[in-house]
Amino acid sequence: MPRRSTTSRRQLRLGLAFASPWLVGFVVLILGPIVASGYYSFTDFNLFQPPTFVGVDNYRTMVGDERFTKALFNTLYLTVFGVPLALALSLGFALALNSRVRGLPLYRAIVYLPTIIPIVVSVYVWRWLLNAQYGYFNRILGLLHLPQPNWLEDPTFTKPAIILIGLWMVGGTTVIYLAALKDVPSETYEAALVDGAGPWQRFRAVTWPAISPVTLFQLIVGLITSLQLFTQPYLLAQTRLNAAAGGPDDSLLTYGMYVYQNAFVFLKMGYASALAWVLFLVTLAVTAVLMLTSRRWVHYG
Amino acid sequence: MRRVSFRRATAAAVAGVLATALGACGGSDGGDDDKVEVVFSYLWAGAEAEALEEIIADFNASQDEIEVRGVSNPDFQKQLTSMSGAQGSFDISDHFGNGVGAWASKGILAPLDDFIEADGLDTDDFVPAAMSQMMYEGQTYSMPIALHAQMLMYNKKLYAEAGIDGPPETTEEWAEQIAKLTKRDADGTITQLGYANAEINTSFTTLGFMFGGAWDDQSGRPTPADPGNVAGLEFYTENIPGTYGVAEVRDFTSGFGEYASAQNPFYVDKVATIIDGEWQSVFIDQYAPNLDWGVAPLPYPAAQPELAGTTQVTTSTLFIPRNAKHPEEAWEFMKYLLSEDAMVRFTLALGNLPARISLLDDPRYDTLPQFSTWLDALRSPNAQSLASTPWSAEYTSDLGQAFDDIAQQRTSPAEGLADVADKASSYAP
Amino acid sequence: MDRKARFAGRHALVWAIALGMLFPFIVMIGTALKPPTEVFSLPPRLLPEQWEFGNFEAALSAMPFWRYLGNTLLVSGLCVVGSLVSCPLVAYSLAKLHWPGRGLMLALVLGSMMLPPQVTLVPLYLLWNKLGLVGTYFPLIVPSFFGIPFFIFMLRQFLVGIPDELLDAARLDGASEFRVYWRIVLPLARPALATVAVFQFVWTWTDFLNPLIYLSDSSQYTLSVGLYAFFSEHGVDWGPLMAASVMFTLPALIIFLLGQRYFVEGIATKGLK
Repeated sequence: MPRRSTTSRRQLRLGLAFASPWLVGFVVLILGPIVASGYYSFTDFNLFQPPTFVGVDNYRTMVGDERFTKALFNTLYLTVFGVPLALALSLGFALALNSRVRGLPLYRAIVYLPTIIPIVVSVYVWRWLLNAQYGYFNRILGLLHLPQPNWLEDPTFTKPAIILIGLWMVGGTTVIYLAALKDVPSETYEAALVDGAGPWQRFRAVTWPAISPVTLFQLIVGLITSLQLFTQPYLLAQTRLNAAAGGPDDSLLTYGMYVYQNAFVFLKMGYASALAWVLFLVTLAVTAVLMLTSRRWVHYG
Repeated sequence: MRRVSFRRATAAAVAGVLATALGACGGSDGGDDDKVEVVFSYLWAGAEAEALEEIIADFNASQDEIEVRGVSNPDFQKQLTSMSGAQGSFDISDHFGNGVGAWASKGILAPLDDFIEADGLDTDDFVPAAMSQMMYEGQTYSMPIALHAQMLMYNKKLYAEAGIDGPPETTEEWAEQIAKLTKRDADGTITQLGYANAEINTSFTTLGFMFGGAWDDQSGRPTPADPGNVAGLEFYTENIPGTYGVAEVRDFTSGFGEYASAQNPFYVDKVATIIDGEWQSVFIDQYAPNLDWGVAPLPYPAAQPELAGTTQVTTSTLFIPRNAKHPEEAWEFMKYLLSEDAMVRFTLALGNLPARISLLDDPRYDTLPQFSTWLDALRSPNAQSLASTPWSAEYTSDLGQAFDDIAQQRTSPAEGLADVADKASSYAP
Repeated sequence: MDRKARFAGRHALVWAIALGMLFPFIVMIGTALKPPTEVFSLPPRLLPEQWEFGNFEAALSAMPFWRYLGNTLLVSGLCVVGSLVSCPLVAYSLAKLHWPGRGLMLALVLGSMMLPPQVTLVPLYLLWNKLGLVGTYFPLIVPSFFGIPFFIFMLRQFLVGIPDELLDAARLDGASEFRVYWRIVLPLARPALATVAVFQFVWTWTDFLNPLIYLSDSSQYTLSVGLYAFFSEHGVDWGPLMAASVMFTLPALIIFLLGQRYFVEGIATKGLK
């Protein structure tokens, strides 16, 4: 008996010792700030003078704040349309690359390339591509006799521009799907073929269930990334000399940008904290809902 | 043995690099032991920054105690966050006059009255409209170094092609000229525009002034919905997007080249008239020396001749942040920049108007092409400026949004500006 | 015939995808090499008629590229060191040590992966501010020394695959746990560590939000913020902007080409099941 307890205490000490960097970091850099953020959300704080307690005023302001509503709408728009599209496209690419193609490693690398390019570069290059006067993208659309919108200055098309850039960067998810596709046991495919199943039925019955865990994970990651999106819309809306720009008619103002603006441009750190907390709760809720409903369509093993 | 030395080596390497990194960021405090280093962070960039650096070099050479290090930081969002630390990353910087009140009310700026009194600085020599923006609750928080005025600039070559003799006197004439100076293709694509905003916020507020409007009242309270403001913006919406189509105008303007370059749309004959500031005198000399251009006082509505000579005056100011490490030395440098000779050099190099009344007649400004029109504008009784108040940041931001909506015809000038008035009631008592 | 048609069809599709992915790069390089008159010509041509490097000169003189490169290398390098020091340690505690609370901690690690940065943004900034470290590289580098959840999880999945017998043998021989970790586990984990290094390097190289918030002196800027400041200042000066973009991208591209298999294998196989 005594021997087991010293071993388990020793194990505990060892475990904590090895885990200590992250445990300390968790408390100092994650848990602490989350709690502090909650505290600040009940204050009015402009960084230069000490915070003053204002109760739930910040949350009340949020309800009547037009820009808050707009930021929320923009972010949900990008999420609801952008994430499924990106997922579908990456799956499509993976299926295309999974067929017997020569030089697969090269194509895989090319598809993955956009994701390692610095985001700042990607956005600026796309700003140039989508320029209404000189942009190549609209030239190509013109050659295909498709309408050529003003992507960057027409409020209806700025969010689609963000989604477009996101579609260009599906390489990461594509590679993950490719690996998952290779893992699908070929016996199941052959069995389906013997049963006379066509390609679409094979996909539905064999492929889709097999990759559903990956789909769930990518869906959650994609949703979380989309809800906090900051860099791409911020840079796409950037104007010379930098006022707090949200794009034409604030169409590019995402929730992440609005938090940043309130914190570092308007110096309303209390309000920014309240906004951040709402984002946190929404993210938790969305993740929980997804995980719970996943049992119906995700097959493990 | 091997393990121990490897671990020690790694630890030493990491410590060494960390120390260097720490040193790299604390470096601004170093410099010569004898000289105090004053960091001057400024919003100017490019050629203007170069001119400023020369003046800094002269100051450093002229005395032994202070070494000024200039840093170009054109992003004013970052400027604000830099002042939030316990120890500032710069000692002196520049800003725009109408923002002084907002920052002073937040306790970001150091009051300068003690310095001014101790050194007997002659604040009477500074243009009153500019000095009033520097004050908040009776204290001086900033000093103006340069002034700016808005005038009507026109492309003489395009005027000749359109058969127009000279610049307009009234706004009605201007509207007629704009119609003659705008060219379109058969499908409605614009190839030349009679007027485009050089910078929408300044141009729109100026248009408001031109039609007898005002953006604040005597006590500084916002008055965006003043009928003169509405008339000014209606002038734009009726004559440009209203006539030629919002989408067409947007497509045309989105292809404009960089403002401070040879591709500025006014320099390459894309736009025939603009409302812009006196620095264009230097800019055009530099980027488009062959451009045949002219400048004239802003037009006035024919029914209101008393508005002739209206212009909007803006100020470039110098300030010392509360958390500056070396405020006294920063003040010494500020005094230098405000002295007559340095001010002339600075404003000549940047092509700005001096803030000192005594310099308005200085012959040295004759070297700048067509500069006298702008200098004279400062003397007009109709020279207006925006108020500097604690809520300037919110007001400017709300106005900016409204201006965008109005220019893109998502809302009418009357509605858009009434909206801003509504919002202003929440932060301006 | 049918087989050949399908073969051609498959390859055409894949080529189309590859072309779509590469097109923006071609445009970037093409614009970087064009003189200003060609940049603003209509209709836009893809490749320049006259190649010139003037844009690169303009970009180099307009921004202190080499200094920014050095800054970015410093920060990225230190973050790699931080991750390599901390993440395997923590992953080891989750994979090969059995202690109460391990399951909870794993859940916390996974949970932190999903945390939106905006939630901790303001308090972290205030914390660094109080410590007087805003305007230094510390806020950018120190977090990696505490461990990055994504890498911890990835390494944990890898370490779980190492047979316990190897470790038990060493423990029975009297080796301390740290020695087991250092001498046996780490060398075996080299491919996973290489993946961590490569990923961390590229992430920090391309990071924008953190340098934006914490760096105030323009001489300290990393390439991301440097390019952003270049755009703020020069706006639509497309030629030099594209040239600067090309220069900024090259190091990340080189790392990618050299360490390709670490990227692809890293995310595809390690820890996403």
